[in-house]
Amino acid sequence: MDRFDYLIIGGGVAGTTAAETIRQRDAAASVAIVSDEPHRLYSRVMLSKPQFFLEKIPFDSVWLKKPEWYDQRQVTLLSGRSAVGLDPEKKAVTLDDGTELGYGKLLLALGCKARKLPVPGADRKGVNYLRTIDDAKEIIARVKEAKRAVTVGGGFISFEMCEMLRLAGLEVTNVLRERYFWEPVLDEVSGCLVEEAMEAGGVDILRQTELKEIVGEDGVRSVVLKDGREIPCDMVIIGIGACLSADWLKEAGLEVGHGIWANEYLETNLPDVWAAGDVAEFNDLILGERIMCGTWVNAQVQGRHAAAAMTGERQEFRLVSYYTAHGFGMNIGFIGDVMPGPDRMMISRGTPDTGSMVHLLIKDGEIIGATLINRNEEIGAIVKLVEQDVKVEMHLRELSDSDFDLKSLLPQQG
Amino acid sequence: MAIKKIEVKRDLCIGAAPCVFAAGGVFELDAENKAVMKLKDGEKNSGPVEVGQLEDGTVNDDALRAAAEACPVKAVYLYDENGEQVYPQ
Repeated sequence: MDRFDYLIIGGGVAGTTAAETIRQRDAAASVAIVSDEPHRLYSRVMLSKPQFFLEKIPFDSVWLKKPEWYDQRQVTLLSGRSAVGLDPEKKAVTLDDGTELGYGKLLLALGCKARKLPVPGADRKGVNYLRTIDDAKEIIARVKEAKRAVTVGGGFISFEMCEMLRLAGLEVTNVLRERYFWEPVLDEVSGCLVEEAMEAGGVDILRQTELKEIVGEDGVRSVVLKDGREIPCDMVIIGIGACLSADWLKEAGLEVGHGIWANEYLETNLPDVWAAGDVAEFNDLILGERIMCGTWVNAQVQGRHAAAAMTGERQEFRLVSYYTAHGFGMNIGFIGDVMPGPDRMMISRGTPDTGSMVHLLIKDGEIIGATLINRNEEIGAIVKLVEQDVKVEMHLRELSDSDFDLKSLLPQQG
Repeated sequence: MAIKKIEVKRDLCIGAAPCVFAAGGVFELDAENKAVMKLKDGEKNSGPVEVGQLEDGTVNDDALRAAAEACPVKAVYLYDENGEQVYPQ
């Protein structure tokens, strides 16, 4: 059995940054990455950008490491292989080809999988998810031939794909199970602003309906909805979320919820096993709750943080994450925790007629998250208010005034 | 060779901000959610700027390279003393 001092499951940005950090901190240790994709590190962020899809930027700019990068750092890359078993007593991971790999310390940075749409015909050629570079290649090829597309889901992937498909000149219909786009992450008013922009951009949005079947012979001919409507199309892109798929981890005694449970040090319940990136459902000390976060920076910073912990520098992980989406002339920002709930209150800043709005989510007197429509210039100030746990309960009226300077609530520096 | 000049390509930048996390003394996001560099004279722009113009006089090549390499859309460009592009390669 081969044994590595540091074994990393997942070759994305969390796992690769971890390997890089371990090597910087320990020149002699043996380090290996197991990646279920047959590729070196690439930019998953680039995959949803219209410029990339429409080949306005060269395809090869997607690669973030050169092939020789791994050898130069003596990092063993086992690509195109999946982990299927974990024995925490023996400290070994089993791969899909039966190989067993021993470890001193293990990092689980395997990411999430695209949630599958469970309808007949969803496995047809012409039906795509957007998770991997191979998915992206298929979509790029298909867009060149297709005339009509259907997107399923009301979130980030659908939003960016709708814009890309419209720029490519296709007729686009978006099918939503929810009442409005981006429910419940966006409030209804913000969601409607997004919908207006999408509709003005030529997207036909069908709300509160679901696919019953995807029909075709060789490829896709149409989708049939549960209400009986049939929409002709040559391609379908599904973006209905991501999920953990790892029964082998549960069988090993690892505690999992929506993701792999980790504490504020990114440690799992098993000894010498850490989790990082999209897959980690970790104790966020700033928000005071256990969350999952699917952003690039979170994965990068957690990969670095876990690697430092694995090599002896154990510290609490603290980061306020945010991400932005652009499309149909609109900038949308999400900061921290944006899920509404009974224990939190929402403050609106601005009015829909100005086309720019912020919604702040407040829990226990502190801002824990925000959504921004065409007002990303306030991201910096809001991130600081969340990060520094600033008490805002005495300032709710000011917060709702869009002319009020959020920075004035920050403690004076120096 | 040492890094002489830095530029953020604004048409590529998407405001994911790993450069801000990697080198917060150098980069921040502006109102358009694009990365800018903080300069000695109080100005902030996306460059190209010379390393000597940066407000953060202590930043080294490794930190600048780490910030550029962290970008998922390769929007941070680095140039050496001869004006040759050293990143992205």
